[in-house]
Amino acid sequence: MKTKRKADTRGTLRATAETKWVGKPLLRKEEARLVRGAGIFTDDHKLAGMLHIRFVRSPYGHANIKRLDVSRAANSPGVLCTLTGAEVAAMVQPFIEIGPGPGQKVLDYPMAVSKVVFQGEPVAAVVAETRLAAEDAAELVEVEYESLPPVLTAEEAVKDLSVLHPGAATNLLWHGKFEYGQVDKAFAKAAHIVHIGRMHFHRFSSTPLENNAVIGFWDSKENCINFWSNNSFPAFAAQFLSPALGVGIDQIKMQSFDIGGGFGIKITNYPYMALCALASRKAGGRPVKWSETRTEHMLGSAHGNERTFFDTRVALDKGGLILAIESRHIDDCGAYPRYEPLGCIIWAQVLPGAYRIKNVRFDISQICSNKCPVGPNRGYSRMQHLWFLERVIDICAHELGIPSDQMRLRNYIRADEFPYTTPNGCVYDSGDYAQMLQIAKTIIGWDAWKEKQTQGRGEGRMLGIGIGTTLDSGTNNFGQAQIINAFAPYSGQSKAANIKLDIYGEVVVSLGSVPQGQGHETTASQVVAEVLNIPPDLVRVKPGFDSEQNVYTGHTGTYASQFAVTGLSAIHGAAVKLKKEISRLASHALKASEKDLEFGVGEKGPEVRVKGGKHKSINYWGLANLVNTNNAGIPEDLWDIALNCRYVYHAPFAVPDLKRKYGNLTLTYAAQLHIAVIEVDRETFQPKILAYAAVDDCGRAINPMIVEGQVHGATAHGLGAALMETCAYDSDGSMTTATFSDYTPITAMNMPDLLYGHLESPSPFSYNGAKGMGEGGAAPIHTVCAALQDALFSSGIIINDSHNTGDTIFQAFELAKSGQTPPLVKLESRHGAR
Amino acid sequence: MEIKFGGEFVANQKPEEVYAFLVDPKRFCPLLPDYESMQPLDDKTFLVKLRVGISHIRGTAAVKLTLAESDKPKHALYQGTGDVPGGTATLRAGFDLVPDSGGTKVVWSGKANVVGRIASLAGGLLEPLAKKNVQKLIDSLQVALT
Repeated sequence: MKTKRKADTRGTLRATAETKWVGKPLLRKEEARLVRGAGIFTDDHKLAGMLHIRFVRSPYGHANIKRLDVSRAANSPGVLCTLTGAEVAAMVQPFIEIGPGPGQKVLDYPMAVSKVVFQGEPVAAVVAETRLAAEDAAELVEVEYESLPPVLTAEEAVKDLSVLHPGAATNLLWHGKFEYGQVDKAFAKAAHIVHIGRMHFHRFSSTPLENNAVIGFWDSKENCINFWSNNSFPAFAAQFLSPALGVGIDQIKMQSFDIGGGFGIKITNYPYMALCALASRKAGGRPVKWSETRTEHMLGSAHGNERTFFDTRVALDKGGLILAIESRHIDDCGAYPRYEPLGCIIWAQVLPGAYRIKNVRFDISQICSNKCPVGPNRGYSRMQHLWFLERVIDICAHELGIPSDQMRLRNYIRADEFPYTTPNGCVYDSGDYAQMLQIAKTIIGWDAWKEKQTQGRGEGRMLGIGIGTTLDSGTNNFGQAQIINAFAPYSGQSKAANIKLDIYGEVVVSLGSVPQGQGHETTASQVVAEVLNIPPDLVRVKPGFDSEQNVYTGHTGTYASQFAVTGLSAIHGAAVKLKKEISRLASHALKASEKDLEFGVGEKGPEVRVKGGKHKSINYWGLANLVNTNNAGIPEDLWDIALNCRYVYHAPFAVPDLKRKYGNLTLTYAAQLHIAVIEVDRETFQPKILAYAAVDDCGRAINPMIVEGQVHGATAHGLGAALMETCAYDSDGSMTTATFSDYTPITAMNMPDLLYGHLESPSPFSYNGAKGMGEGGAAPIHTVCAALQDALFSSGIIINDSHNTGDTIFQAFELAKSGQTPPLVKLESRHGAR
Repeated sequence: MEIKFGGEFVANQKPEEVYAFLVDPKRFCPLLPDYESMQPLDDKTFLVKLRVGISHIRGTAAVKLTLAESDKPKHALYQGTGDVPGGTATLRAGFDLVPDSGGTKVVWSGKANVVGRIASLAGGLLEPLAKKNVQKLIDSLQVALT
C-alpha cells in the first residue's frame, strides 16, 4: 500500500506562521513505546494471587437450558470455583436498560440464566489457578439444551413468532417516528417519484488487534471493586456496573492501560467486567483475569448494527433535486440492547446527510435477534443512515439519467450555507462538499477514467466509477438520549484535563481519555507546547482512565470522534490556567509586570523571562520550588497558586426539544469524500478496485500525519466491510464467520493504493477550528456500492446491500436473468417531467 | 447447520430380522463410523461414544440415542442429542421396511442439526463428512443384513 499526495488544501489555518506546534505532522510520541513492544496492555498486567476465568458458551443461538452440571469442572485440578447463571442471577440485578417500553423488560444478566439468546452467550464459568486449568475444566461442564426457533432477520423479528425475551413479550424493542418539513406537499409537487424496495446494511464488526481483557478484583477489605480493563468508555460502564453489582458508583475503581484498537465495540464489554468481579468475590477476593480469544471476540463481544430499509419513496424535481424522502427502517440490535436503543437517535445527527433535504419522514424501529449483541462500531448508526442516503442519491441519479457527480452537486449543502441548520435542528458547522468532490476528482483523474470507462464498456468490460460522501459527526450531545427515553439521566458533553508543574518543574498532563491508537499523547503535547511555547518533548502526558489517580467526568472515554474538540479544549483550558498561574508567580519572582513577560526555553530549560533581553528569567524548576519547597516569603495573594490546574470543558449544548425531536445533537461535522474505480470481472464476478481516492475535511488538523493515518485506517475498515467482512449466521443461528479465516478481515494485501487529499474548513464551534474525526469508516462502503452500481446498472442490477462479493454479484446476475423477482426500483414520472 | 440425508437399499433378510437388528443397540451401534462404546440407559435409550474429528477439532462425541418410534416390523426411528467437540448435535434417523422379493427394502432418511463452534469453524467440511459417514453406516448395514 502506498500513499500518493497529489492535492493540497486551500490552506487556511495549516500555515505554521500562526502556530508553532499545532498543525505540524510530528511523529507520534507513543510510537517508540508501542512499536518496540514496550506498551503495557491489560493482559500484561499481573497481580499477586491472580486467577483466570474461562467461559462456557452456548453453541445454540436460541435455546432453553434444561440442565447444567458444573460438578466435574468444580472438582478438576486447580479449579477454585465455578459460576452458573442461576448463581449470577442471585447475586446481581439485571443491567439497566436505556430504552423505555418493552426494552425495559429485557432481563440482561451477564450470564444466561435459563435461556440462551445468542451463540456464544456465557452459560457458566470456571475459575482456576491457570488459564489452561480453567480451559480444561470448562470442557467438563455439562449443559443440556432445548433448541428454539432462532430469529435472524428484521422481517422474522417483527412477526413475534419466536420471542427472545419473555418479559418484553415482543422482539420490537423501540419505535419512533421522525417527521420534519412538509412531506406530503413535497411529494404532491414532485416531477419524479422513485420507489425503492428493500435495502440492507449488513452486520460487520471491528477487529482490534487486542481483544477484550479484564481483571476484576472484589476487595472486601477496602469495600470496593477494582477493574483493570480495556473498556473504552469507563465512565459509562460504571453506570451499568454499579446498580447491577449492588455497589455505589464510588466503590467502582477503574484503570486502563494501552489499548490495541477498539473502534467503539469495547464500550460494551462491561458484562464480562461484572463476571470477573463476581468470580473474584466467589473465589475469596482474589483478582480474576479474563483475556478473550479471537473466536470469543467474534462470537460474543459486540458487532455493528444491521439495518434494513423498507418502502423508500423519494420525491425529486425535474432537475434531480431531492424534495422529500420517506422510508421505514428496522435496526437489529442483536440479543440484548445494552448501548441501544441510542442508535435509534444517533443516526439523526446526520439526518439529511450532506444534502439539502428539507422534508423527511422516517419510521424507525429496533428489534432484537438471536445474534451477538451490537456495540458502537466505527461510524455507529450514522454509517447505516448515510449509506442509505447515498444509495438513494445514487439510485435516483441512475434512474433519472443524471451523472452521479452532477446529482450530488445539485443536492449538496453549499459552502455559503454554513453554519447549516438541518430540518431536525442540528447545526453543521462548516464544510465545502463540492470542493471536496473537485479535489477527489483531480487526484483520481476523473476525466481520464471516464474516457477509459467508455472505451472499456465498448470492449464489454464492467467498469464503474462511484462517489461516496459521508459525515463524521463528532462531540455528541448526550441530551439526544432523552429523545429515546425522557428519563435518561444524560445530557451535554464534557471532558476534563489536569496540567501541573511538578515539583521539579516538569510539565505533566493528566487525561482521563482512553486512547486506542489515536495519538492523544502527541496531540495533547502539541497543544500544551503551543500555549507554553516549549517543545512538545518537554510535555509529559499521562493518558488512560484511572478513577483514583486521573481526572474524568461522566462523559470521559474515547468515542464519537471528539478528542480533538473536547479533549484538546480541556487541555487547552488547563494549560491557559497554568500559564496564568506561572505568569503571576514569575511576575513576583522577577519583579516585573505580567505583560512584560514571555514564555520560552532557556539554557536551564523551560522558563519565563522579561522581554527585551534584560536576562531576567526564572525556569520552571525555580517556579515550582517557590510553591513546593522554598516558599517562605511568598505573599499571601499568591497562596492560591498550586501550579496544578484542572479544567472541565463543556460543549455548548442544550437539551433537545423532546416533543419535536429537535435540537443540536453534535458539535462538529467532519466530512469524507471518496471516489473508487472498480471493475467487475466478467468470468468470476469478483470486483477489483482499480483506483481509489479519499479526501478528508476534519477542520483544522492538529497533527496532519495522525489525521492521514486515521483516514487510512478508516478506509481499510470500510473497504473490508464493503467487500470482505461480514458477520454471517446460518439458519440455526450459528455464526459462520467466527474466525479470521472465514471473516477475512482486510489486510495490507487487499488495500488499493490510496490517493489522499484533504481540505480544511475550520469549525467555528471549537477553539482550535478542529473537528473530531476518525470514524469515516462508512465512506468506502458508500463508494464501493456506488461504483458497483455504475458498473452493473446496465445489467439490470440494483445494489441494495452494503456487502458485495464475487458470489453475491453472481447471484444478483442469476436473479436478474431469471426475471423472477419484481423490480426493486420503480420510477414514477409526472406528465411532462422529462 | 442442517444436514439431510436419505436413500434406500435392499437387504437379503426378512423385515422381522432387519427390524430386530435395527432396534438392538448392541448390534446396531458398532456399525456407526468411529464407534468407541455403548452404554444402555434404559430399554429404549443408550449412550454412544464415537471418536470423531474434523479439521483440528478432534475428540469424543457422546450421543444419547432414543428409539422414539417403533412399529414392528415396519418402522424404527431414532432421535438423539449429544455433545460433539466444539458443538452440539441433534439428529433424527428413520428406517421404513418394506418386504421385497423375500428380502427387505430399507428406506432410510434423516436429519442432523449441528450447532456451535464446530459449525462455525468447519461448516464447509461438515456436510460432506457427515454424508460420507452416513454412507459408511449404510454400507455396513447392508453388509450386516446380507
